[in-house]
Amino acid sequence: MTSGQAPAAEQRWEDWARSRRRILAVARRHAYVLKRSPHRLFDVTIWPLVDVLLFGSLGVFISRHGGNGSIAFSYLLSGIVLWHVVYQSQIALSTGMLEETWSRNLLNLMVTPMTELEYVLGVMLFGMVKLAMGVGVAAIAAWGFYAFNVTDLGWQIVPVVAVLLVVGWVIALFVIGIVLRFGSGAEALAWGILFIVMPLSGIFYPIQALPRMLRPLAVALPTTHAFAAGRALLVHRGLEWGQVGIAAVGTVALLLVAVAFVVAMLSLFRKRGYITRYS
Amino acid sequence: MDTVVRAVGLVKRFRGAVAVGGVDLEVHTGEHVALLGPNGAGKTTTLFMLLGVVTPDAGVVELLGHRLPEGRTAALARVGFAAGYLPLAERMRVREFLRMYADLYGVVDATAAIDDALVRFGIEDLASSLGTELSSGQRTLVGIVKATLHRPRLLVLDEPTASLDPDVATRVRQGLLDLTRTDGATLLITSHDMAEVEKLCERVIFVSRGQVVADGSPSEVTASFGRSGLEDVFLHLAARQPPAADGVGADPTARR
Repeated sequence: MTSGQAPAAEQRWEDWARSRRRILAVARRHAYVLKRSPHRLFDVTIWPLVDVLLFGSLGVFISRHGGNGSIAFSYLLSGIVLWHVVYQSQIALSTGMLEETWSRNLLNLMVTPMTELEYVLGVMLFGMVKLAMGVGVAAIAAWGFYAFNVTDLGWQIVPVVAVLLVVGWVIALFVIGIVLRFGSGAEALAWGILFIVMPLSGIFYPIQALPRMLRPLAVALPTTHAFAAGRALLVHRGLEWGQVGIAAVGTVALLLVAVAFVVAMLSLFRKRGYITRYS
Repeated sequence: MDTVVRAVGLVKRFRGAVAVGGVDLEVHTGEHVALLGPNGAGKTTTLFMLLGVVTPDAGVVELLGHRLPEGRTAALARVGFAAGYLPLAERMRVREFLRMYADLYGVVDATAAIDDALVRFGIEDLASSLGTELSSGQRTLVGIVKATLHRPRLLVLDEPTASLDPDVATRVRQGLLDLTRTDGATLLITSHDMAEVEKLCERVIFVSRGQVVADGSPSEVTASFGRSGLEDVFLHLAARQPPAADGVGADPTARR
């Protein structure tokens, strides 16, 4: 190593340490928000519990009165637990950013040396805690109420969960971009957009169950392929790497589009002086 | 003398209406400068462009030697900003809020820096309070403490004492003077309180209809308008600026 390389490496290390500290500061800020806002716990405790009760009981009813009941029961419960991976990661990131608009903290943040990427990583980091809480509640409720053990799906569920996690972040980035452009009036999308993606992704059923005209749309969604891979695990067909691969490629493509969209909306936000909506 | 802020030909239009129409501005190390003008004159838009929060349609901004927007992170690490109209982030205690910003600014010994800053502005008793428990004046004070935690080279304050009673405003002014004297920091403020400006600043820049119309010491500017004081100059310029003249009312940063 030359003498010039040592200071450069040291500088890079210092930059990384500063960046890491900013990311942790944002994550800690959102931990305080959750700690002091009991109503925010609804998303990570009550909602997954209600979902599991609703779809678990529906599954039990179908298994008692329908044909191939046990499969429907498993599809419903595994579907709703996996859906909460998308839901929790999406809600954590989008409402994390919305929190700054609600508390009019955006201007304070924008005049610090923090980059937009550091901010998003900080919110994602604490979002992982909320995700663990939400999915944990769903998994425990499924096991406690219906003796459905998610861990029976095995380690092969990990790539499926990874894809769904990133899909949640991608949807959140689109929501953030829309809020930057249209203001807080668009914040209903933070919750609403998921209810469009949910039925189209075939989280409880193969997409052949959808109306024919909607199937091409469903096929285009990476979530559809991730849930299909999850169902294959349920019926002991092993991990369908083809489905996971399609889901992963689709997710990466959507992630690139989402990042480009947010960057464009942030640029417009600065150009049009939209900061005054929150100051 | 080093240049801390350099803006050349700053232009900003909102929906076609000119909010800032070609502002040139230089502020040097250690100066105490007030950017003055009636509502809608373009002060806050100019400040926001200097801080990289609003992108100018034309012109160049250099902050502490860093050209924006590329050098934004490096420049803002040495800039502090507070505004009298900004609330505290909710659901955080004052110390937690300050700790967050100490971390964002990379303050080495955050606890000591927070303690020092709280004492400097006489609000150490608020450290454990939640933001929602504070009066607007107390929130403003905490905002100023936040802006000074990292001992910035440039302190930008937008209407810093607007919601403070005279006693607290005096304490804030003294705290700012102590800080800038100790650190040699530069102060750039906007204010509608001309008495405060005369106590804090040795240079004033008047903006009207998005243009710099006067730049000099308070006495020079007063004399150039043939008026009796800064307040009189302010009223004179305000009378010349109808509320939505030249479409200035379309400026989203204009505060009414």
